[in-house]
Parts: sequence; C-alpha cells; structure tokens
Amino acid sequence: MDLSGGFGARSDGGGATREATGLESLHLGDEFRQLPSDNNAGGGFTPLLELPSTQPVRLLYFTDSSSSSPQAAAVTGISPPQVHSYGTLTFPSNSVLMERAARFSVIATEHQQHGNLSGETATSSVPSNNSSVKTETNSSQVVEKQSNRSGKRKDSDKKARSSTNKKKNKSSEENEKLPYVHVRARRGQATDSHSLAERERREKINARMKLLQELVPSCDKIQGTALVLDEIINHVQSLQRQVEMLSMRLAAVNPRIDFNLDTRLASPNGSLMDGSFNGTAMQVTWPHQVTETEQSYHHHRQLQQPPPQQWPFDGLNQRVWGREENQDHGSDHNSLMVDFTNLHPNQVKAEL
Amino acid sequence: SSMNEEFLKKWQMGLQIFSPSIDNTSVSERKRAIKLSADVAMASLRKGTTCWSRALIQKTATEDNFLVRQMLSGIKEEPLINKKLPKVMCHRKIVRRSKKILMRRKSRSAMEEVAAKKLVKKKTQGLRNVVPGGEFMSSNVLLIQETLDYIISLQTQVNVMKSIVDAAEAGIER
Repeated sequence: MDLSGGFGARSDGGGATREATGLESLHLGDEFRQLPSDNNAGGGFTPLLELPSTQPVRLLYFTDSSSSSPQAAAVTGISPPQVHSYGTLTFPSNSVLMERAARFSVIATEHQQHGNLSGETATSSVPSNNSSVKTETNSSQVVEKQSNRSGKRKDSDKKARSSTNKKKNKSSEENEKLPYVHVRARRGQATDSHSLAERERREKINARMKLLQELVPSCDKIQGTALVLDEIINHVQSLQRQVEMLSMRLAAVNPRIDFNLDTRLASPNGSLMDGSFNGTAMQVTWPHQVTETEQSYHHHRQLQQPPPQQWPFDGLNQRVWGREENQDHGSDHNSLMVDFTNLHPNQVKAEL
Repeated sequence: SSMNEEFLKKWQMGLQIFSPSIDNTSVSERKRAIKLSADVAMASLRKGTTCWSRALIQKTATEDNFLVRQMLSGIKEEPLINKKLPKVMCHRKIVRRSKKILMRRKSRSAMEEVAAKKLVKKKTQGLRNVVPGGEFMSSNVLLIQETLDYIISLQTQVNVMKSIVDAAEAGIER
C-alpha cells in the first residue's frame, strides 16, 4: 500500500495515487509502521502528531465502506466526490490526499514552461506558501539549464545534493525530470516548511556567491557578504569602464571603424586562400571589396578575395598599414573601411 | 575561445552596418558605434536565455534601433519585453516604519543582524543598478546567477576588444 503516496512525497508527479486494493487492506498499524520509515530520524512519531487527527479516523471509515468496488476504484482517480453516509465525509482519504497534493505539489509544472529563469523565481516562492504539516517539503529547482550551460554551476548542484545526502531521499537529484526536489530536515533543525524553504534559498544563494567569489579574483579572502558584493560591483563597473575605454581607443586609432578580419581563426590549421600568404592563418579582405559588396554584410566569407594584382603584397608578415595603401586607391578615399592588414594574425590568434 | 571568435564575428557584422554611413567621422560617433555593436554582439551570444542579455539588447535598441534590428535579423526575432515586470516600489519610509514596529524589542545581536541585512540589501540594490536588467530580477538567486554570466561575458568582450586594440595600436607605431 502506498501511504507514502498519501504524503505526496516521493512518488513522481506528486499526485495522490493510491491503490484501491491497498486501501481495502489498510490497517492502522500499517500506517503507523510506515510513517517512521518515511520521515526523518529526529522524529519517530512527530509526523504522526502532525497528521490531521481525522486522518486515521477517515481511513477507518473508508475501509469500512470499501466493500463497494466503485468507491474503491474511484479513489485512485480524481473522482467526483460522493457523499458518504458518514455525514460530511466525502471521500475523505481522497480529499485529504488531494489537499496534500495541492499543497505540496509545486506549481512548478506550470512554471517550468515559462523558461528556466522565470520559472525558477516563481517556484522558489511557492514553498513559502506551504503549510507546515509535513516534515518533508518540496521545493522546486529549475536551474538545470543554467547549470548545464556552464559547468561552473556544477558546484551549486553539488551543494544542493550534498545537503540532501544525509537523508535517504532518492529522487531529489533528478532535477530535470521531477518538478520539485525533496529536502529533508536535518537533525536538530527547524522542520517547518517555511524555514526549510528559506534555508534552501539561502543555500542556493550561498553556493552562487561562492562561485562569484571564485570568479572575481579580488574577493577571495574577504569574509562577509556585503564586502564581497562590494567587490563584485566594483569589478563589474571596472569591466564596463574598460569596454568604454577600449572602444574609445579603437575609435581613435584610425578614422575608419570598420575592420575586416576573417574570423576563420576557429579552424585549427588556419585556412590559407593563397599560398603567397606565408604563415598567416588569417584572410584579409580589402576595403574596396566591401563597398562593392554591400549586400553581403552578413556573409563574411564572400569578401575574401584578395586582389593580389592590385596590391603588391609581400605576404602578410610585413605590416603594411592599411591607411597608406588606401591612399593609393582613389575609390577609397570616401570609404570608411579600414583594414587591419597589419594585424599580425598569429598575434591576434594567440591572444584570442 | 570559441566564444571569443563568435563575439568577434558578430561585432564585425555590427560594425559593417555602420560602414556606409559617412557621418562616422567624429571620434565620439565612432566610439559609440563600436561600443553599441560590441554590446549587442555580446548580448546576442546568449540568444535570449539570460535576463541581462535581453535587457542590454533593449537598451541599445533605444539608442540605435536600426542597428539592433540588423544585427539580430539573421539570428532570431527581436527578443520580447522582459518577462518580469519591475518590482513594485514601496514607499521606503512607510516600509521602514512598519518594520520598526514589527521589530519591537530585540536583543543587541538581533539588531546587528538586522543592520547587516540592511547593508546587504543596499549592496544588492547597487548590484541591480549595475547589471543590465537588474531591476527586473525578482530574486536574489537570479540576480547572482545573472551577474555571474554577465561578468563572464564582459570579460570575453574586454579580452577580444583589447587584443584588437593592441594589435591596431601596435601596427600604427610602425
């Protein structure tokens, strides 16, 4: 029997599924025996105490009435409630189960579709709404995409995992499949769902802060969140300022802003279009070519026909500054192209 | 370093959009063109998956819509508005007073804790101001994640630009 299903706990989908046959054979003794194994080491019977008092009673009622098969069959599904002869009990176990499922099933499944980031924020706020009946809480983590994208996030996943390692949970690590993660309370820690959820959030934040600390070199040795944040802000600002400075320098370097580098530096061996270009891994495109082929902005590859007959060129190893050469071409004096032919390709490649 | 190369490609593509227009003769014009195309290039590398990238693209779109459209046309549709609306700004004094009432009488250590938390809050607000789209990030977790990604991208941008500039300046000296 699945009383554990009733706790909305580990089974997939978080729905309340019970087996009809199990119900019929339900004994209170089973119920009590199951609970200690489900819940944390700290409280053998505390979860029992947290059970709504009517639950055992209701279950009793149900078993009494379980002789009729339609009722039994109907429990498994989300059936329309029937009125019992016991007054207000309308499929008591079912409603309790559904209540629980509603409370604990994280609405992550809806939110998950919104995309990883917004989903994460939405679902992380859900646990705060949970009531504190259970010792187990479900909180959702929709961080997989982030974690998958950059391997650096593995740390935060590991952190989440290690925090659940002490418990006997099985399904918590499957972030990608399950909509929520089960976290058990550790010994001696507050067990209500609010604080558990808060603690999870705190752990998440701390894990990411650690990553940040590793990334930003200057805040390795600093203790304290505020100072670390300070350093991070400074770092970001300095990077932004650097971008400004570099773009200013680049603009000042020469009057033309456009540069044409073949970006096929990706190819390991470097593709050489012409044998005369010794030792260069880079193709160079010439400015007047670009003006002619304005249509092909987005197609770099089309612009790579160096006109050797026009430019006496001894191979790119010589740094011939584009400006000088452009003056030879009357057509160019209106153009705003520059070519960084002088860019030593190996240098650039190495720096990249 | 494939990211470096992708960034370089996109940046170049953006710069070429400016090439026909001859107004770019002043240094500041050129610098603006360079910077904007670099920013969009950097943001488009993320393909809309991160909040900061979307916010950055939108910011540059307000400065140069044409550029953004051209640069992103080959890749995807323009990213839509940020999904999260900005936080509701509560009147600070009222919030502060209500918090004081709630605090009642706490021990000294609790007061220090509260002060520390305030400080952290201020810093996180500062971080939100710096990271593009920070105001739209509703949770601290998200903020820090985005900051991480943003820093990495910024670093890439700086590295590539630096190498180009260094090479260009070195060439001039000859």
